[in-house]
Amino acid sequence: MSQASPSPSSAGLDASLLKRLDSAIRRLDNTSDKLKLRQQQPLLQQVERVLLSPGGVGACLERIVAMDKAGVFAGTDWDHPAHLKAGLVRRTLESADGSALVLEALSELRFLAIARGQYEHAEIAADHARHFLSQVLGLNLEWLFGTETEVSRRLSGDWAAALKSLFETIAEDIGYGHIFDAVISEIWRILAQRPIQTDRIKAMVAELSVWSKAGSIEPSSSGWGADRLTSALFAPTNECREDPGAEAYAAKLPTLDDNALTQEAAGMARAMHDTGLVSAYHAVLLRYLMNDRPDLVAECLGLTATGRENYMAYRSLIHALMDKAIHVETAQAIYGLALLLERGLLHLPPTVPALWRQCTLKLAPAARQRLVETFGPAPEPEAHLLAGVISVLGQPLGVGQGNNPTCQAARAIAMWAYTDPDYLLQLVAWAARDNEVHMPFEGTTISSGALWAGLAQGALLDVDPVSAILVPHLDRIYMEMGRMCAGREGDPHRWINPEMHGWWVARGFDIVVDVPTGQLVDIDGFVRRFYAAFHPDYNGNQPVIHPSPAGIAVTDSAARFVGWHAIAIIRVARDPSGDVRVYFFNPNNDSGQDWGDGVIVSTAGNGEFYGESSVPIADFASRLYIFHCDPMEQGPEDAVDGADIDKVRNQIVSSWGRDRTG
Amino acid sequence: MTDYNPDKGYIALLGWSLNAIDAMEKFDRRYLIVAPSWAKEYAEAHDIPFLAWDFERLNEKSFEIAQTLKEMGIDVAVPLFEETVEWAGAINSVLLDNPRLLGQSMLLRDKSLMKRRAQLGGIRVGIFEEAHDRADVVRFLKRVNQTLLKLDGDTNDPIHFKAFDLAGCMGHRVVRTADDVDAIPDEDFPALMESHLDGWEFAAEAWIHNGKVRFLNISEYVRLGYSVFVPASPDLEKLRDKVQAEIEKLIKAFDIKFGFIHPEYFIAPDDVMYFGEVAYRPPGFKVFELLERVYGFNAYQGMVMMFDPKTTEEEIEAFFPTPVEDADGYAGCFGVYPRNRVVSKLSIPEETENHPYFEWHELSEPMEQKVAKRSAFGNHWGLVYFHGEDAETLRDLLKEQEELDFYV
Repeated sequence: MSQASPSPSSAGLDASLLKRLDSAIRRLDNTSDKLKLRQQQPLLQQVERVLLSPGGVGACLERIVAMDKAGVFAGTDWDHPAHLKAGLVRRTLESADGSALVLEALSELRFLAIARGQYEHAEIAADHARHFLSQVLGLNLEWLFGTETEVSRRLSGDWAAALKSLFETIAEDIGYGHIFDAVISEIWRILAQRPIQTDRIKAMVAELSVWSKAGSIEPSSSGWGADRLTSALFAPTNECREDPGAEAYAAKLPTLDDNALTQEAAGMARAMHDTGLVSAYHAVLLRYLMNDRPDLVAECLGLTATGRENYMAYRSLIHALMDKAIHVETAQAIYGLALLLERGLLHLPPTVPALWRQCTLKLAPAARQRLVETFGPAPEPEAHLLAGVISVLGQPLGVGQGNNPTCQAARAIAMWAYTDPDYLLQLVAWAARDNEVHMPFEGTTISSGALWAGLAQGALLDVDPVSAILVPHLDRIYMEMGRMCAGREGDPHRWINPEMHGWWVARGFDIVVDVPTGQLVDIDGFVRRFYAAFHPDYNGNQPVIHPSPAGIAVTDSAARFVGWHAIAIIRVARDPSGDVRVYFFNPNNDSGQDWGDGVIVSTAGNGEFYGESSVPIADFASRLYIFHCDPMEQGPEDAVDGADIDKVRNQIVSSWGRDRTG
Repeated sequence: MTDYNPDKGYIALLGWSLNAIDAMEKFDRRYLIVAPSWAKEYAEAHDIPFLAWDFERLNEKSFEIAQTLKEMGIDVAVPLFEETVEWAGAINSVLLDNPRLLGQSMLLRDKSLMKRRAQLGGIRVGIFEEAHDRADVVRFLKRVNQTLLKLDGDTNDPIHFKAFDLAGCMGHRVVRTADDVDAIPDEDFPALMESHLDGWEFAAEAWIHNGKVRFLNISEYVRLGYSVFVPASPDLEKLRDKVQAEIEKLIKAFDIKFGFIHPEYFIAPDDVMYFGEVAYRPPGFKVFELLERVYGFNAYQGMVMMFDPKTTEEEIEAFFPTPVEDADGYAGCFGVYPRNRVVSKLSIPEETENHPYFEWHELSEPMEQKVAKRSAFGNHWGLVYFHGEDAETLRDLLKEQEELDFYV
């Protein structure tokens, strides 16, 4: 960027500040490993003072190797750069917490020193560091453009300036063109999963379009697919090519002839189905067509034969849904509506009346407040919730846990939307109208309302309206079921999963970990039973009927254990090249992950439907630790090829099972 | 610590000090911390070798701990706090098979015995007496002031009152009036009373091996109980030879073969040195940390070397720097005590923070708003550290801190 300030140097800094910084580094360095914590805080305070002074970023960069070696990250979440996630940086910056901010800034400087080749780090290589930084920049573009955001507003002016300087220093090194490419491929990567929550992506696309207009990058060398992204959002059709604003566009519509209107409808639909993003203009057009040219609604939604047939059969319900839920602010739900019709869900008898109930549902004050806090006052919270319901039913696998540790609840919502939509609508009605959800657990009824105390948590971050309403209840019920299982031997999911999700979760349960010791037990038998239940070659070529909750041991790109995670097996099938893959739902919405040892989770290009992740079945089995199955429905176990089992066992033992074999 | 030198001693540190533990973690000797059970949880969490022991009054159990340590293969015990000095003496008399060490430690622990012993060794001390109750204090205060030819109604010259067996500043009071006498709590008796010596008070730290001083530091007090810096200013360092000679007298009088002592002296206006008291353990104010800042050597490690019977001559020679000459500037610290009776937050004064000599502080936000009245010297709320090139600037700076509010 031409207006970027020159590379910061420590020349202008107060010498005594730097002397203090150096002496704090020395004190920490001098401290033995077991007691590092005592000298970390004084160093962080000193770093903060330097960072907040002009030129401070450069001064800290010069010392970052010394600081890392002295142990500034020891025992903190930033200790291992290989474990860090670019996606979490933003969250830390948003937290505006002193020490965390300082550590985060230092962590970026460490990546920069590694990327520059100034620091040889045992854990990660220069190109990894470079990739990490371009991702971070891509996800935090506003710091480069200096746009005011929620985050920068919350920070002090000094901190905002320091972070801007930090990001500029990094950007100059990484190269602005490179960042541009990284951002675009990041957006496409996420869009490949068709998430319901697209606010972040839309914000990134908005930044990109500002940037391209400013002409700061050469479009020829970078920017693959950038045009499609920005046009899908801001200029999807001929009549809004100049991004005229919603009112001007609405005023123009009555003047268009048949041909032009048809083109508008088709153009909107194409942009939406190409990207998974819906322009605000799309909402304006749809509302207009609904009243004046209903014959073009199906075109505008981009429906195929199934969708058209559903639309024609339930036209009055669809119009009521659109009238209530589709507004400029909730335009994204148009995509959900189109897919809902495509899924043929309305032919399930309870769905239609349940949606009519949803249209007129009155919200409990607490539910109303939660929605207003998250999504703003306009349109009314009922509209936001209805839009959310439409999206979830249309895109069950687009549900994400957001930045919350609630993968269990997100997975449950997705599975219900996928397989049990009228039950989900019932749960939403209870939660939204009564602010209370009941669930039986082995004959005892659990009420989320009675569990309010002790489990209250902060507002959920970055989730869809259905999750915002439902997750707090589900989370409490899930915890309570866990409590009711306390004292039982083995993993509580054995009982919780079928009780919580529904009869269609098999009661048969298999786990490869001995819960008290964390050691692996009977790996061969575990893999054998999994193959016999799910592998088409061994289970009589029976496709998965209902989504099946499962637990995986997530590993990082170095195949080291990171944590336990809830997913759902959606399908097991042959991919276009004939290999058997497991297609699963991962509620974290960032499913393209490198699990190490060559296990790369794919989200597109290997026969996935939107929202599915996939890996070859052996790779999947090598990270699986819990699954459900019905012994009556599986194939003979001894048919499973010993070589297949050997392969999986080796992969387990060389990754997350490394220290779990006696 | 997993890698230690098997040719060196196995050291027991008596008392809980994180800085001492840190020193041992970085040192080449195997170690064990012997401290009260409240430290156990922390020690276990941080994988610090630990043995729980309650250092109450020396009793019949002292032999038990000595025996336990001996069975563990401990070579020597090093005291870190005043309360553990006689325990170290008792333990070492068993470990080193030298019964006199117990007697020596009792001398170093009892301020009155200590003074008499010093006097017997030809060391100059002020007028002193023991006090068992408040009447003793009143009588001594009167007598001292009579000696000074004060008339009734003149302001009294103060006397110093020191609980027998409390470390340094703890239990040290300056008594001028009958009201001051009333304020002394019962538990501070018996105590030692001394006349006040006008003059320059300072402390020294001596590392002793084979009866010889291997490193001598002089610590300059800016104000007793508030501030100290090392090395001493050139004015005070002029007296180094004299101080060394006085310390050698102490070594002789107390028959100290090894270890570490921390004596306090007064220089009277006529340049005569008076002995105040001596402790057989690290100084309470963080002089060890200041020494590390200017000289780079770890004073705890030096102390352990002095105690360890397996220490070699070469090791000692390589370890200690040349006093004063090898120092990088001057390092000092100031003990903060709130001046207001009610405080709400920590606020480092700008004058302090912006001074180029300011380095860091270990103060934290106040735990409670009401400030307890400071009854004796000591118990500051945390230290502020300074470092700079000029002794006089540092002295003035430390002095100025007394007039500043760190808590408002």
